Amino acid sequence: MPEVLVVNRNLQKEQSWLLETYRRDGGYAQAERAVKGMSPEEVIEVVTASDLKGRGGAFFPTGFKWKLVRGDPNTPRYVVANGDESEPGTYCNRFLLEKDPHGFIEGMIIAAYAVDSHTGYIYIRGEYGLAIERVREALRECYEAGILGSGILGTKFDLDIILRRGAGAYICGEETALFNSLEGKRGNPRFKPPFPTNSGVWSKPTTINNIETFACVAPILEHGAEWFKDLGDGDDNAGTKVYCLSGNVRRTGLFELPLGVTARELIFEYGGGMPEGRTLKAFKPGGASAAVLTADEVDVKLDPSIMQYGTIMGTGGCIVLDDTASIVESAYRDALFFEEESCGFCIPCRQGTPNLVQILERILHGEGSMADLDLLESIGESMASSFCGLGQFAYRPVVGALHKFRDEFESYVRGELPVSA
Amino acid sequence: MTDSVTDQKATPVDLPAAAIEDLRTGIQAFKEDPGSLLEALYVVQDRFGCVPREAIEVISEELGYPEAHVYGVVTFYTMFYTEPQATHILRICRDLSCHVNGAVGVIAAAEKKLGLHSGQCSEDREFKIEQVSCLGQCERQPVLLDNLAVHGSMTPARVEELIDSLRGEAS
Ligand SMILES: Cc1cc2nc3c(=O)[nH]c(=O)nc-3n(C[C@H](O)[C@H](O)[C@H](O)COP(=O)(O)O)c2cc1C
Ligand code: SF4
Ligand code: FES
Repeated sequence: MPEVLVVNRNLQKEQSWLLETYRRDGGYAQAERAVKGMSPEEVIEVVTASDLKGRGGAFFPTGFKWKLVRGDPNTPRYVVANGDESEPGTYCNRFLLEKDPHGFIEGMIIAAYAVDSHTGYIYIRGEYGLAIERVREALRECYEAGILGSGILGTKFDLDIILRRGAGAYICGEETALFNSLEGKRGNPRFKPPFPTNSGVWSKPTTINNIETFACVAPILEHGAEWFKDLGDGDDNAGTKVYCLSGNVRRTGLFELPLGVTARELIFEYGGGMPEGRTLKAFKPGGASAAVLTADEVDVKLDPSIMQYGTIMGTGGCIVLDDTASIVESAYRDALFFEEESCGFCIPCRQGTPNLVQILERILHGEGSMADLDLLESIGESMASSFCGLGQFAYRPVVGALHKFRDEFESYVRGELPVSA
Repeated sequence: MTDSVTDQKATPVDLPAAAIEDLRTGIQAFKEDPGSLLEALYVVQDRFGCVPREAIEVISEELGYPEAHVYGVVTFYTMFYTEPQATHILRICRDLSCHVNGAVGVIAAAEKKLGLHSGQCSEDREFKIEQVSCLGQCERQPVLLDNLAVHGSMTPARVEELIDSLRGEAS
């Protein structure tokens, strides 16, 4: 499959982040057309027909989400762009924030019009210094050009967009934790239901979408729902996905491909395969939260159907491991991540994440026992009842690695493998 | 990130009265922007290098949050500090993509060069090393942030050079 640049179409342009560059090639024409010439229902219909699904990892249908928000009589309503992007192995949103901020802002404007919202928030993780600067500047340009503010684009529609920074907390990517953070609170998640479509920021109806999701919207309006659908792999998938490659692979980077490309194509054709003399051992299709798959499974499609293999598509941040990588060590790295990022709000996750770390440390140091392997499983079972998605996923990379590479865990226990640091 | 809200307070840093008054004026705009506590805390930290006890009091008085709330928020987010920090916080990613590309060696080289453990500040408060979660810069694995400045494709040798050049800037 050839690379198809829709979301990333502007990244290579000189000074791509400036309003002038964006407008030169028709930027904001779709927002203007929507606000001036379409009804909100028409906008929602097109987005629904395009079959766009949320790129934040859950693949919730975007048009339907907007319809739910619009259908809630409670006002004011809000639009939120989730730029917290902290899943290990994932960096596609960062390129959009840094190099094409107007692209997703245009999508936010269209969304705001569709759900009748007059306030939007952009939430960006605090470590993304350049992204924050560029988005701040893009918003300033928009206000100056009358693209934001009162009576946007010469219409009667008012819209303000406020930029907010995170400050080092993966959990704030979880939508309800993000709302708490936006409201000036600790980033603990909230109980669902009510869902954000009815009760989001300030407990008001809110559509929260990933940066890449918003970036798909103007192209959908421009070229039509059918065009977008046809960009996918021809099966159930509509549109493209910006896949990120990292780990033991020759070429890291972003590859925008039809949603549903196989891991083999991504890793070998686009990533150039393994470094010299090495072979593929395993890969994680969607960041830390995704359980590893083995080299034998490399023909799977990278789309939500990957669930049948016991893992998730997640963010599309594919992490490649070659034959020099230790699976136990990689599970340990994932466990460390979740231990650090657990918000501490509920017991199964607060207790379970450090327990996984301790046991894996034991095993890595050659001090583990076979009973420890069962213990990993039972901790996993207890973590399934965690309060939010973080804890509900945190054990899966560990337990998944154990299921697929049990021999390797047992070798560590028997002291047969080099004792690692 | 898991510290719970306790009756602990941030460390006072003996801010001069003028600095406190200046801060009071500086955060007035946040009164009009509900929920902007994190942004107010960034203003504090940009001025003082951390969020000291005095600043928590000022924020609480001006923006109307209980002190315990402000303290709870400061301690929740890893990029806010209640203690004075180093001029250069070296944040080194320890997650998987960086790990399989030598992050452990990069961290060890930084620790050795500075004679510090991760989490520690140097005595002259020039440097601190932190092992952090994925920085979203994985295409340049392994990655280090000097405060927010990105340095990719790190090696033990490159981290030593970086520290030397940052030291050079300081003197
Ligand atoms: C622990 C956790 C972290 C998350 N982090 C992000 C994130 O960084 N960015 C994101 O867009 N969605 C993230 N999500 C998903 C969001 O909760 C939400 O589903 C998403 O922003 C909705 O946007 P979409 O419909 O466009 O995908 C995270 C979810 C969980 C459980
Ligand atoms: S599962 Fe983990 S991150 Fe989620 S609420 Fe519980 S402790 Fe917090
Ligand atoms: S894993 Fe190190 S920057 Fe992403």
